[in-house]
Amino acid sequence: MKTRDITLHINEEKYNLTVDANQTLLQVLRSIGSTGTKYGCGTGECGACTVLVNGKTSILACLTLAALADGMHITTIMGLEKDGELHPVQQAFIDRHAIQCGFCTPGMVMKTISILEENPNPTEDQIRHELEGNMCRCTGYEKIVDAVQHARDMMKGETR
Amino acid sequence: MSTRVLPDFEILVPQSKEEALKLLSQYQGDAAILAGGTDLLVQMKGQLKCNCKGENAFGYLLSLAEVPGLDYVEYDETEGLRIGAMATLSQVAAHPVVKENYPGLLESVGVCGTKQTRNMGTVVGNLLNASPCADCGCAILAWGGTLTLEGTAGRREVDVDDFYLGYRLTARKTDELAVELKLPPKSDGTVSAHHKMTRVEHDLSKITVSVRLEMSGTTCKSARIAMASVAPTIVRLKETEKLLAGVEITDQILESVAKSASSEVTPIDDVRSTAEYRRDVAGVMVKRIIQKVCKS
Ligand code: FES
Ligand code: FES
Repeated sequence: MKTRDITLHINEEKYNLTVDANQTLLQVLRSIGSTGTKYGCGTGECGACTVLVNGKTSILACLTLAALADGMHITTIMGLEKDGELHPVQQAFIDRHAIQCGFCTPGMVMKTISILEENPNPTEDQIRHELEGNMCRCTGYEKIVDAVQHARDMMKGETR
Repeated sequence: MSTRVLPDFEILVPQSKEEALKLLSQYQGDAAILAGGTDLLVQMKGQLKCNCKGENAFGYLLSLAEVPGLDYVEYDETEGLRIGAMATLSQVAAHPVVKENYPGLLESVGVCGTKQTRNMGTVVGNLLNASPCADCGCAILAWGGTLTLEGTAGRREVDVDDFYLGYRLTARKTDELAVELKLPPKSDGTVSAHHKMTRVEHDLSKITVSVRLEMSGTTCKSARIAMASVAPTIVRLKETEKLLAGVEITDQILESVAKSASSEVTPIDDVRSTAEYRRDVAGVMVKRIIQKVCKS
């Protein structure tokens, strides 16, 4: 088939869509106004398009075919804020000034959530290793690593 | 070339293995098989993937995403580890037996791509993609095992040693689906390891080595050594392996092993390294990885 009818759950909202066979999830997200998720490289290298499946598994929207995402529950950066309150990871990035131009930030934040889902208590080394696959062209990695540690501590209920 | 837009194709989404095989026999080389997509879609965006007619396009993508029962990682003591076609790298890495008994494979999975691509890409896909620098492929070749290929005509098992026929060329026929990879269990003295050398951490390999040795004390009963990025396919260094069979591992043996490894590889110059460098370093890497596994 050239097109497929799918149902997507994006940030807990249901979308019935007809997508082209060759459309990526990233294209579809952005076409329905979910532009928080960024297009960086399109080839799986930069991580700017990182979104979560079932709230925890990080995947690349640029290498996911929308036609095959039927029934998936996707969380993007735009679904994190609840009742005007930022997600602790978003807050940590602000608190630690881990944002320069901000282009990598949506991917970094989503990736951080998935890192902390899998291991709520990662060491700095583990954080650096896990962040591989998310690039920051402003090269503010120090602050990003710091922000992830801050988020880890906040989410455990302790702040440094 | 655009990395934003994929070329035109039709998508086939079979709901059972039987349906997938039927579609495959119908479309054959004009259908590319899509598992995790982390290699195939990148190649298609870059128009680097050729169909059976040598055109930079496929009319059809056959997705395994909705075929039930292919995403398993199972272990038993007689058969060993069985990895289904849709089992992701992350799934394999998380399996307790892989952590315990297959350290070479575990290491190779851990350095293959990034967290996100490991959540999407499959181990069997890494083997099927037939890249000469494949990470898991190299560890799998060092370990040894069989790949089950299934077509409408039936199923057959191919030894991983016989799977690569040439650059990006495998023994899979166009109407066959690779459904399972089987890696035999370890024995008492089995040790294994994998080492990938890259410029930056999640890069493609400049050169990679994987070994599996059967040890009895300090004596090596037999060895399997595989290398990536040193030939048109991932390769075993069979001459070098012979030097290790039935000998006590000494510094002197390792020197001759290193020399042999350097002469057995056939690397080329490319963007990631020169042939000369790869040849030199191949020997050093084989020596060091053997020293490492013997110490552990
Ligand atoms: S845009 Fe998806 S990884 Fe760069
Ligand atoms: S803040 Fe600019 S790319 Fe990371």
